[in-house]
Amino acid sequence: MSEHEQSQPEASRPYEGVRVLELAEGISGPFAGRWLAALGADVVKVERTAGDPSRAFGPWPDDLPDDETSGLFLYLNGDKRSVTLNLDTSDGREILRELAASAEIVIESFEPGFLAERGLGYDELSKDNSALVMISITPFGQTGPNANLPATELTLYAASGQMWLTGHPARQPLKNGGSQPSYQAGLNAFAALSAAYYGAVMHGQGSYIDLSMQETYAAMAEAFHNRASQLGIEAQRGGNFLNALWGVYELSDGYGGICALPRNYPGFARAVGLPELQDERFSDPPQRLVNNDELMAIMYGWFSGQTRQGLMELGIEHRVPFGFVATFEDLSNSEHLQGRDFFAQRDDEAAGSLTYPGRLWLSSGHDWKMGAAPKLGQHNVEIIHAELGYEREDLVRLRELDAI
Amino acid sequence: MFDPGRPLTGVRVADLTMIWAGPYAAKILADQGAEVIKIESPRAWDNIRTLLPPPMALGEHWWNTNFYLHEYSRNKKSLTLDLAAAEGKQVLARLLPHCDVVLENYRTDVMDNLGLTYDWLREQKQDIIVVGMAGFGKTGPEKDAVGYGPIIEMMSGMTSTSGYGDDGVPYKSGISYGDPIAGIGAAAAVATALVQRQRTGKGQYIDLAQREVMSTMLGEFYMDWSMNKRLPEHMGTGHDWMAPHNVYPCVGDDDWIAICVRTDREWEGLKRAMGSPEWAERTEFSDQILRWEHRSELDELVGKWTATMSKTEAFAALHTEQIPSSPVWKMLEVLRDPHLKERGFYEPLRHPEVGIWSVHGWLWRADGAGPCILGPAPDFGQHNTEVLGGLLGLSEDEQSALEAAGVIASQPEGVPLASEMPPTPSML
Repeated sequence: MSEHEQSQPEASRPYEGVRVLELAEGISGPFAGRWLAALGADVVKVERTAGDPSRAFGPWPDDLPDDETSGLFLYLNGDKRSVTLNLDTSDGREILRELAASAEIVIESFEPGFLAERGLGYDELSKDNSALVMISITPFGQTGPNANLPATELTLYAASGQMWLTGHPARQPLKNGGSQPSYQAGLNAFAALSAAYYGAVMHGQGSYIDLSMQETYAAMAEAFHNRASQLGIEAQRGGNFLNALWGVYELSDGYGGICALPRNYPGFARAVGLPELQDERFSDPPQRLVNNDELMAIMYGWFSGQTRQGLMELGIEHRVPFGFVATFEDLSNSEHLQGRDFFAQRDDEAAGSLTYPGRLWLSSGHDWKMGAAPKLGQHNVEIIHAELGYEREDLVRLRELDAI
Repeated sequence: MFDPGRPLTGVRVADLTMIWAGPYAAKILADQGAEVIKIESPRAWDNIRTLLPPPMALGEHWWNTNFYLHEYSRNKKSLTLDLAAAEGKQVLARLLPHCDVVLENYRTDVMDNLGLTYDWLREQKQDIIVVGMAGFGKTGPEKDAVGYGPIIEMMSGMTSTSGYGDDGVPYKSGISYGDPIAGIGAAAAVATALVQRQRTGKGQYIDLAQREVMSTMLGEFYMDWSMNKRLPEHMGTGHDWMAPHNVYPCVGDDDWIAICVRTDREWEGLKRAMGSPEWAERTEFSDQILRWEHRSELDELVGKWTATMSKTEAFAALHTEQIPSSPVWKMLEVLRDPHLKERGFYEPLRHPEVGIWSVHGWLWRADGAGPCILGPAPDFGQHNTEVLGGLLGLSEDEQSALEAAGVIASQPEGVPLASEMPPTPSML
């Protein structure tokens, strides 16, 4: 391996010294903020006085609910500072304006209009800060007839067209697992912010970005959408199979499969080793599609005799796109991932020993912070008193007014 | 004039990517204003050009016109260059000083095999940013594993979370989900490295494993394994505390609507939308916990209501009451979604050989930005003269020599015109 692959992180991280105000709850906005924090930004997480609702979602150690040990919250909010602000009070709004004055980036995920109605829209926040980059992440964007329609992961998966494509053709459409509409929006937001911030650095000019979760997911419909728009052909959900060489099969110890394009066929046939795969009715790409059912029957038989690890090794040896359905146990114990420093591994003060993804990529130019998430309002004194210069008595008054 | 829609204006990308994940990343960079030069060999072009042959691909020069190519490669330029040939590599060496970024998603070993190591690239441009997007990364025991999106999805943990729940079968997402996710991650990597270069004057090498990016989107499952040694159950279209939370059948061919109720207030709204049926007043539906406990029966009753109307009729009633809901849009329907239409999400794309169709525009929309789509995917080698002659100053003779040597071309080698081909079945 050449030297760059053993990265020598420099002290500098790309967003060091960048102030980010995170007015976002749940998954999407905090996921974007998490990566900015990991890469050096000072992310001030502004929470409602009751806290980000994700503090109330598990998992928790031993299933004991606690605002400071939600696995979801800890995952999404490492290395941020937490300040509580009630934006329905004038003091809360004033403190937010003061924080925004020194911010380079604002991430918000309120309902469209919420901030503007409180005098905290982009126009107001950027008045004396024209390089400010601000993103609004909402289910359907800031405009249009559905702008204020509430949404869930399920309804967004349906609205983006993704759900129609997922699941068994003979059964109802299926949602993929977890909170993918939110996570993909958060990842898109991180890309949007990094590009827009670069523009702001280069030109001294910020921007306001409207990100719709429905749109970012709808933009991933690959061939299915473009085929519909150019040729008028509707897609059918295919379950686990596009064809015999593109699907998920049952193995002897779990599930796994293959995704082979025509150019992968020779290697595939060698790896599998069945003589009939050399027949022209399978080796010739057009004939293979015509004889798909027959090939699939052969593959069902072959895969049922394979193990997950055996399949992986065969794939590596023959450079064939084989894989298996990995579990979080497999992944957490993966030598490959551990060797690549993929995981943050920490003993959390409140939540115990934790192993979770700690970075997006490896870089020769920077590493990633993987620290603890803040307790609710942990940095109120540090930020409102020490940095913004409010007196301690002010803090008492603000607390009594339910502003913090 | 700063264009807020195109903050990467002035950035030039040598794009060596193919198929899905890499081109998706390059699409984002191109949309955001970077000049993306898509580099393909006359003998090893982006496979997506020829993956879906006629009749799926319209047009005589079908490697330029197929719909799949345009999904990823609008707003880019095309340069052909055989990087396996010494002359091709020499041209690349002349091009790199004009570039900020090299993007590749080859199999792990290909760049090194071609002699295009980070060290070599850096010799041509000292502060170059290089992003390699191999499926499993450039190091480690699985580095030589290869995979397209669904393999990436399986190996990331994602597929293990999805399923109907009654049969134990894990389901992959409908799309090759690993690809766009890796692409978005790579676009963020490029922009982040540009920010850092602006501060330090240095480029960097980024080893982005597609599987790892996908796996970051599953944090809560890793936490549950850490905390409780528990693996996720398949939830189907259900939820661990919301009810109703499902898709319900409507009048039509395989037509469904998704409906979720999170609060008592939304339940009251759903009742009104359903015309206040008597059954909804039953004690077992009177609060969130009870509704969740009786969710099977509740699903059946809500489904009886939706089954009497089209999904758009049901949606109209639910929309009035602000209930989280959406028709399960099919591909032809999402293109006509009135909401997306009003927002101008889909934009017309014009190709001289096949006319106009619509493609998605901005992934996110900067205030003040104009249309996203500036042009279709480039024809194979369309910008050879512009790049080689214009940017690099190669003479016409030099360009002709490259063409004669097969280093550049205007057509993928050995690919016949559509009219010279028999109709071929498509894998889609």
